[in-house]
Amino acid sequence: MNDTLLWYTTRGAGAVSLVLLSAVVVLGILSVLRVQSPSWPRFLTVGLHRNLALMTLVFLALHIVTAVVDPFTHLGWLAAVIPFSSYYRTFWLGLGTIAFELLLAVVLTSLVRGLIGQVAWRLVHWLTYACWPFAVLHGVGTGTDAWSAWLFTLQAICVVAVLAATGYRLLAGSRDPLARERSSFLAAVDRREQR
Amino acid sequence: MAFRGGDDTYTMEPKDTIQDRVRARDAAMRLLNRLTAGAAVSAVVGVGLLGAIGALTIPGTASTAATTTSTATSSTSSSSSSGLQASSSPVSSSSSSGVAVSGGS
Repeated sequence: MNDTLLWYTTRGAGAVSLVLLSAVVVLGILSVLRVQSPSWPRFLTVGLHRNLALMTLVFLALHIVTAVVDPFTHLGWLAAVIPFSSYYRTFWLGLGTIAFELLLAVVLTSLVRGLIGQVAWRLVHWLTYACWPFAVLHGVGTGTDAWSAWLFTLQAICVVAVLAATGYRLLAGSRDPLARERSSFLAAVDRREQR
Repeated sequence: MAFRGGDDTYTMEPKDTIQDRVRARDAAMRLLNRLTAGAAVSAVVGVGLLGAIGALTIPGTASTAATTTSTATSSTSSSSSSGLQASSSPVSSSSSSGVAVSGGS
């Protein structure tokens, strides 16, 4: 395969992964805020959040595989698995590796949520708030196109969307009227299952 | 809520409400499927489109290599056209600096 085609695919898949990840974070925040309308029930937000998260992993895999197999970069598989082990832009590429592994942990624990319990799942799910900034910083620091007008605009839209959703979440607080009772009940169930 | 009495099922809500809910749920599921499929197609198109934009703004290794090759070719041709005069001067300067170093030690 043509080296340049791999390189373009790496860059395109990286940008698309960032957009998808930002959409996943925004949808996750909207699901916590229990946003709904007659034509948009709450399960639609949760379902779309789950489907886009899985899709993000697919495009992230494309981004990583095309970057690793590209003979021009010589990154190697170790750089894709072990953070800060790459010779090329060690710090910025390491942030990308961490972001990928955090996202993998979040998605895998969501798939086995019934097995690990609500409290453990929630704790791991909070890692998303670390994963997204790592991904943005990785794009800014490593990206060939980081300061191109088109990618800069795309990144700015993603950052504004996630910051707006996070700010709204912090200001609005919990919309669940039974949040405290529900979490204490689920914690009690977890404790009983661990015995 | 529904309960059974013999062969009959009695509901405490009007049947229309239940039907409406079922219809609304089905419509939402169809919307979810459409949105997911649309996002997948958009993402695939996005990879191609953004890759192409990236290629236009910052060209790949092939064109860089071509530029390097042409530069090298032109520099080679220029050096060959200038002949011995260009290559003799650095040799003389390096030998003189070598003498200076050995004399210093």
